[in-house]
Amino acid sequence: MLERRLLSNLSWSMVGLVTGIALFGLSAVYSATYTPTGPSSLFTKQLVWISLGIVVMFAALIPDYHTVGRYAYVLYALSVLFLVLVAIIGRTGMGAQRWLPLGPFAFQPSEFAKLSLVLALARYFAEDPRRGGYGLRDLGVPAAMVAVPLVLVLKQPDLGTALMLLFTTTLIIVLAGIRFRSVIAIAVIGAMVASLVFLVPPVRHKIWTSLKPYQQKRIKAFLDPASDPLGSGYHATQAKIAVGSGQTTGKGFRKGTQSQMAFLPERHTDFIFAVIAEERGFLGASFLIVIYVFFLLMGVETAKNAKDKMGVLMAGGIVSMLSLYVCINVGMAAGILPVVGVPLPLVSYGGTSIITTFLAIGLLLNIRSRRFMLFY
Amino acid sequence: MQQYGLAEVRKRLPLLMAFIILFAVVLFFRLWYLQVARGAYYQELAENNRIRPVKLRPPRGIIYDRKGRPMVENELTFDISIVPEDAPDPDETVRRLAAFVDMPPAAIQRLIDEAEPVRGKYEPVKIREEAPWSEVAMVEARQEVLPGVIVEPEHRRHYPYGGMASHQFGYIGKVTQTQKKEEQADTGLLVGQSGIEKTYDRLLRGVAGRHMLQVNAAGMKVKDLGIDEPKHGTDLFLTLDLDVQRAAEDALGPRSGAVVAMDPNNGELIALVSHPTYDPNLFPRGIIAKDWVRLSNDPSHPLYNRAVQSVYPPGSTFKVVVSIAGLETGVINPNDEVTCKGYLVSGRRPFRCWKKGGHGTLSFHRGLVESCDVYFYTMGDRIGFDRVAEYARNLGMGEITGVPLADEKKGLVPTAAWKREKVREPWYPADNYMNSIGQGFMLVSPIQNCQLMSAVANGGIFFRPQILKRSRNRETGAEKIYPPVRTRKFPMKPEVLDEVRKALIGVTTEAGGTAHGAATRLGTVAGKTGTAQVIAQKVAGQKLSEETQDHAWFIGYAPAEQPRIAVAVLIEHGGHGGAAAAPVARKVIEEYLKNAGTQTAQ
Repeated sequence: MLERRLLSNLSWSMVGLVTGIALFGLSAVYSATYTPTGPSSLFTKQLVWISLGIVVMFAALIPDYHTVGRYAYVLYALSVLFLVLVAIIGRTGMGAQRWLPLGPFAFQPSEFAKLSLVLALARYFAEDPRRGGYGLRDLGVPAAMVAVPLVLVLKQPDLGTALMLLFTTTLIIVLAGIRFRSVIAIAVIGAMVASLVFLVPPVRHKIWTSLKPYQQKRIKAFLDPASDPLGSGYHATQAKIAVGSGQTTGKGFRKGTQSQMAFLPERHTDFIFAVIAEERGFLGASFLIVIYVFFLLMGVETAKNAKDKMGVLMAGGIVSMLSLYVCINVGMAAGILPVVGVPLPLVSYGGTSIITTFLAIGLLLNIRSRRFMLFY
Repeated sequence: MQQYGLAEVRKRLPLLMAFIILFAVVLFFRLWYLQVARGAYYQELAENNRIRPVKLRPPRGIIYDRKGRPMVENELTFDISIVPEDAPDPDETVRRLAAFVDMPPAAIQRLIDEAEPVRGKYEPVKIREEAPWSEVAMVEARQEVLPGVIVEPEHRRHYPYGGMASHQFGYIGKVTQTQKKEEQADTGLLVGQSGIEKTYDRLLRGVAGRHMLQVNAAGMKVKDLGIDEPKHGTDLFLTLDLDVQRAAEDALGPRSGAVVAMDPNNGELIALVSHPTYDPNLFPRGIIAKDWVRLSNDPSHPLYNRAVQSVYPPGSTFKVVVSIAGLETGVINPNDEVTCKGYLVSGRRPFRCWKKGGHGTLSFHRGLVESCDVYFYTMGDRIGFDRVAEYARNLGMGEITGVPLADEKKGLVPTAAWKREKVREPWYPADNYMNSIGQGFMLVSPIQNCQLMSAVANGGIFFRPQILKRSRNRETGAEKIYPPVRTRKFPMKPEVLDEVRKALIGVTTEAGGTAHGAATRLGTVAGKTGTAQVIAQKVAGQKLSEETQDHAWFIGYAPAEQPRIAVAVLIEHGGHGGAAAAPVARKVIEEYLKNAGTQTAQ
């Protein structure tokens, strides 16, 4: 009974948009990882991840989202545990310790941490009985909730994920109803901290030296890409050339000179959007952005129609997280944001990211399907 | 569920919507600006993207012996390569290059054509590896007539001692597809494919650097944009001793076989030899197919690391295990006497002792010293082989030692249950006899047999055989010591060890002992010979080599009073253990004891 009603309420248009984005991305991964001897095994793996992700998405429809909410703190604790584990026994790659070996695969707990933090925050605010807005003093618990994974992720070090955790939390707090006055207070404190960091040389020095060399390089390169176009600014410059040279209609599938000739680093993961922009042109790239926007706005609508605070916050949190991913990743490829390692949801190569994104979307569909249900 | 504030939260959602739309619009305009308004400009940049990151391979870590003497090094060489994409007229460039490097143009063209299907775009093709200085200088000087030609510096792996310890060092080669994924290894890097080069590849490898060059549309280098220096791999200091290793290699000479020498106090391997050897210098250039075929089809199997990957019947060396099993269980009383008439009759079949006339009446001590087969037939049968097998396992047989080299073989310790299952035959009394003198089904590797001696010498302590003593990071200067890994202790009664050790000393010192060839003036040697019959290991379907001479074994330790070295020597088809293997062990022991006072350098 429940199942049939669930299926009839399921938003197939949203499923269609999501699948469309994933397939579009898969073709880009195919192109970006193509080797002189044929398609790369990374493509096959990505295909498996996406298929698995779709299964996970439908599986996430089965439990009522309130049940998921009930386990939110457990999931949160679990993800913190994984992050601690990764700090102890994790696998190192590119100067950072981010992966847990899982048989032949590697699991990236920081991806999972983002989603579980969103769920935990949603539950916290949903159960919070206060009416009206939040002041600064009311935000101690949520601040602590974000601080724990944040510190662990920074230690890896993974600046991109840390920023994502911070921004997503900020958006959720805004949704949950922070007072306007508090926003100003936070802005002032933020400005003070920032000026302390940037203007007081000993503090600046200490923070600067605590960054890994590759992070220092990336920040320098963003502030002044022309200073060293071949060293640190290489990523950013090459990505911009890739995007720009795609022109209106693109160079054609597997014809991108930047992407195919390996000028573009990280082309199947963080810079996959540059590959799309180069090979599909302005038309293809803006088409992708448009379907993302449709999907995200449907997500906002889901939040709006949710029957209770938990649903609104959960859906709103998930949409906030996904929007930030898309904006930061695309902004980075287009050269308006600094290069931080953030995947493009559903598109960038990577098992943990793909599965977690589908899981999040599954929950979104879950909330959407149950918007008419009065009893739960 | 609390419903307070639902309306307020809903009221905030338009903020999220505004954020999404605003950002989408910004991105949309940014893309329009980059791709449409400035598209032609970037298109030109892409076309003229002529920055060539030339990969600089990092020098691999140097491998030193325990005293800091280099055993594996690098040599800086220069390769002349061509980037076909950068040559506006490839045929012309090939023709000109041919004159510089003294190669026919057709040969250069063939190299380019061969590389084509596996080469990434702008990846250089090596034309002349290890080019002589004169050619390198000429090519550098005449850049303007050689568009697309570059000189690549390479740190080439060099094994100054040729085949010495070749199996232990292993070799390096092009990174394979699986390695590329699992190890996140750089393409184009040479990585360890066997031996120490493989086990410690992560340490030895280093980090690639790159040399950024800008070339013009004609493919000529117009600007040097600087070098991102490669990071030198970590240097390794092994436990091997160059002198002892060399002494062992020389003593073994052209014969096939293995020598293992270990410090019984900590499990450090002092020498590890497998013969025949191969020249690892063949591999760093990417082995030529011809050499590979020759090495892998060679009937003497030079690629096999006999010290750890080959297993042999232990022959009489196994009597040490039977002795320990018998004394520990109390079945052997050291004073009990057995009379050897040169054979023992069981059922209708006589089981011969190696000494035709027989040993006469002897007790345990003389039985082991003279290696009387009849004595051990009798005792093995009394103990029962399943019990002997238990001791053999406890003494490390049938199990890998854990030496950090790939594909170690664990050998075989047979039991009645094993035989029922695998051979589908019951265990006969004859099996007790034959296996008790190390014939029959027993199989051990030289390193296991060395470990046995180490355990007898140190009172039953087992270490994971160690080959890496220390590492030194070239970049930071940081050193790391690899302490001995004690895996377990097999307790044995002091009086049992005492009895066995006395007999092992007798083997090299007493009249009638089988290994006088191992005795040295530098210290008392305790040991046991073994002569393993090859003919007995015949397995259906396996072709026997023409040689049917016995394998010669000697295992021992020295100085007997305070052991510092345990040795196992195996010589394939070497004949009698006492005559062939014992003198090899003596040379190894002498070399080590002679220099043992020398401090480890650095």
